Amino acid sequence: MTFWNRLRSWWRVILDRSRLENDMDAELRFHVEAFAEDLVRSGMARQEAMRRACLEFGGIERTKEECRDARGANILEALAQDLRYGLRMLRKNPGSTAAVVLALALGIGLNATVFSFVNALLLRPPTGVEAPEKFFQLWLHQRGTSGIEGYLPLTYPDYVYYRDHNQSFTGMLAFDGDPESVIWNRSGEGQVVLGQLVSGNFFSLLGVNASLGRTFLPEDDQPGNPHAVVVLGHRFWQQHLGSDPKVVGKSLLLNGTSFTVIGVAPGGFAGLLVAIEPDFWAPVTVAEQILHDAGRLTSRQGYWLFAVGRLKPGVDAPRAGAEVNLLAQLIEQEHPDTNKNLGANLFPATLVPGPYRGYVSAFTGLLLAVFGLVLVIAGVNAATLLLARATGRAREMAIRSALGAGRGRLIRQMLVESTLLSGLAGCLGLLLACWTSPLLLALKPAGLPITLRVPLDWRVLLFTLLVSLFTGIVLGLTPALRSVQVQVAPILKDEAQSASYRKSRLRSFLMIAEIATCMVLLVGAALCVRSLLNANSIDPGFDTKHVAIATLDPGSLGYPEAKVRGFYEQLSRQISALPGVSSASFVNHLPLGTAREQSAAIEGTHSASGQNGVSVDVLRVAPGYFETMGISLLRGRDFLPRESEAPGGATGGVAIINDAMAQKLWSSQDPVGRRITLGEDTGLEIIGVVKTGKYRTLGEDPIPLVYLPRLPGRRTLVVRTSGDPRFLLDAIRREIQAVDASIAATDLETIEQYMALPLFPARTMGLLLGASGILALVLTSIGLFGVISYMVSQRTHEVGVRMALGASQHEVLKLVVGHGLTMALIGLAVGLAATFGLTRFLSSLLYGIQPSDPATLLGVSVGLIFTASLACYIPARRAMSVDPIVALRYE
Amino acid sequence: MDKQLDLLQGTLDMLILKAVSLGPLHGYGILLRIQQISKDRLEIQQGSLYPALYRLEHQGWIASEWGESENKRKAKYYRLTAAGKRRLQAETENWNSMADVIAAILGTKPEEI
Repeated sequence: MTFWNRLRSWWRVILDRSRLENDMDAELRFHVEAFAEDLVRSGMARQEAMRRACLEFGGIERTKEECRDARGANILEALAQDLRYGLRMLRKNPGSTAAVVLALALGIGLNATVFSFVNALLLRPPTGVEAPEKFFQLWLHQRGTSGIEGYLPLTYPDYVYYRDHNQSFTGMLAFDGDPESVIWNRSGEGQVVLGQLVSGNFFSLLGVNASLGRTFLPEDDQPGNPHAVVVLGHRFWQQHLGSDPKVVGKSLLLNGTSFTVIGVAPGGFAGLLVAIEPDFWAPVTVAEQILHDAGRLTSRQGYWLFAVGRLKPGVDAPRAGAEVNLLAQLIEQEHPDTNKNLGANLFPATLVPGPYRGYVSAFTGLLLAVFGLVLVIAGVNAATLLLARATGRAREMAIRSALGAGRGRLIRQMLVESTLLSGLAGCLGLLLACWTSPLLLALKPAGLPITLRVPLDWRVLLFTLLVSLFTGIVLGLTPALRSVQVQVAPILKDEAQSASYRKSRLRSFLMIAEIATCMVLLVGAALCVRSLLNANSIDPGFDTKHVAIATLDPGSLGYPEAKVRGFYEQLSRQISALPGVSSASFVNHLPLGTAREQSAAIEGTHSASGQNGVSVDVLRVAPGYFETMGISLLRGRDFLPRESEAPGGATGGVAIINDAMAQKLWSSQDPVGRRITLGEDTGLEIIGVVKTGKYRTLGEDPIPLVYLPRLPGRRTLVVRTSGDPRFLLDAIRREIQAVDASIAATDLETIEQYMALPLFPARTMGLLLGASGILALVLTSIGLFGVISYMVSQRTHEVGVRMALGASQHEVLKLVVGHGLTMALIGLAVGLAATFGLTRFLSSLLYGIQPSDPATLLGVSVGLIFTASLACYIPARRAMSVDPIVALRYE
Repeated sequence: MDKQLDLLQGTLDMLILKAVSLGPLHGYGILLRIQQISKDRLEIQQGSLYPALYRLEHQGWIASEWGESENKRKAKYYRLTAAGKRRLQAETENWNSMADVIAAILGTKPEEI
């Protein structure tokens, strides 16, 4: 309580300084005059009484000053004085000031950059939403499982049940968790746009109003009779419709269905999912019309909707959580076949959905830790410089202390100076963050349809401010505490000329810490870079150089099967006829992407239920796929055109398997001619075996895989060329337009560009860690150079004496470099020990290399020692060239 | 016992709190009251009174407001706050027990040990 009182009284003084002065004047004058009047009353002459009163009161000005101090009124003046003085000191040493500010700015700036990503992914609430903290996301959870795989979004029937039966939420909305790429037929020309299906109450529950027209109404999403209406994204409306003010009421042809525009979302609103900015929103009940996917709304096994509820006033999250769990049990009783063991969990509605937050936090946390280390190195660097300067300023401190400056005042002075430095560095660091954030965003593969906004908002500013302040205080504390231990008399008598032993010991300690930290970062960087090289050289099992790809989906336009087949046949013919094209084929989706089809295979012709089959991945390919992708056929033959047209589900189909599958089922025997049963397809005849590749991740162990000849409507075209596939992309686009102008290809790119996706994690990590490692090395070398240079300049006299006494240049070199190398070796040993503890966390990101790889550790150690020697050698040369006569005469 | 005593270190605050606990007073009045109660046996530096008053107000133990003095002049009156009352009580207890201990020590006779 007294704390608040003090703060209040202090504020009053700061805000109204003149009132304090007037009050004080009046109060003291009253005292003196009242006293004088009493004296007059006791018989003293008035003039004499006034004089006595003033005399007895004592120094009025001193009393006033003490009163001001008692009220804390002087703090601001003193602070302003310290600031002025601090600025003067910084200007006096422009070189070291610039060095410290630059090093710190790099450290703070990189941390601000990483934090701006943490903010964008984890801290920022969805923009444009009213009271985002009231919203909670509902996830189904398979009881008894752990990890992210146990969590499922909702099916449409589940969503309807939770929406209609809960008592905890004022309303529950749902949206498509994996927004759909939809083809917008723009007067004959197809363009791929991103659409999100949402429940009718989506906008109204979030409190988002249309900037033009209206948002959805409950009657827009009536099951069975939905309105084909869309709300456009603000950016889409600006970029593709020229901000047309009369857009409301017009219609768009999306996936072959005509939709009426009813409104435009407000600028800045991009839904509730991170990195996704839909071009349009449509009612969830049009799913079957727009996706041509019958049964999407009735299926109890298609988990695709993210449900978000807004808590009723007075209901807290645990109560709502208990209720949805109860509802989950009720659904389980009603539908034991599909909802068995499915519980329900609530998470705060964040941009990164609850179950995934752990992964994102771990990744960004690792980055923050890495760049935290860079900041430590920059800080230690700055500290050694400041410490050297503090030693040089011992005399100044002694004089100020002799003139009556208190300890607190001296400490404050040093802290103000270091905070000034780190504050300047913080401003510069923010500029750096503005520049590096877009640079980091550019790392993302072009194929990912994500748009991440990384704003430098108040959270990032606050973080930068706190980091700068903290750095400044930690930085200033050592020299500050040091400066007040100064012994005044000997310094003023010029007795303490050389730096004391303790001071140089502290500097050595800091230097060792810096080298150790640098060692950890360098090892991390080297491991990541080497793993990146490994990953680049991993053979994915197909040609990554001479193939162009494009994804096509005529099925999304509602074409009948015959028309789809006709389209692909004609396209295949036209593409194959292009100059430079040696072959072309189709696959339902490329390996190493995000899509996956899995099944269970058993040997023989009968699907024996209860018998556990081999879990296999399935790819569906057209004839010529293996040749086009450069996958070698080990035995048997490729599919024939007529086999890819045979109806599915019938006995007598054919399949090609990979080597891993052949090994698993028949080990050394020839599988060609044998039969397997794969899910619904019984008695598939094996007609060929191909080489095993990588299908899910580059680091995986061999996975058994079955190729089937029948393809769905959505396919990826693969084209093999003898030359550079980049020159083929335009021709492919033209051919697609020529065959059917309303179809647009998505992800038209070379296979090399496609490979950016599976390589993305390793590439990002490698680049970031590589940059941080190089930065650490540069900073550490500069620091070592500075410390050794300082040591040489302090020991010029000693070196002069040694040389005068007959020491050779070689011995002087040994003395100086030896000192630096000792520090480097100790730092190396400490760093090595820390490395063993820390790099374990990297192991999941590394391909084909152990965290304790001896060659890497050795290489980094040798490199660090070499750099350290170089950093010591330059100042050592200066020491060698000391002229003993000059050095001694200097005294 | 006509000789004036110097104030013990740290006791001025307690005396001020006690003086204003008897009713609101201005600075000069506090001085007079302490001298009156102590029968002029305590010597208080007039100048040291005000920093102490400002400090006590800053800590929230006394509050001030402008009023009119006995001879119709503007003067700043101090009164005890609720927090000040508790503080005074605590300090009084502390002082009494301290005085008892000191007195007991000083009053010890050789045969009592």
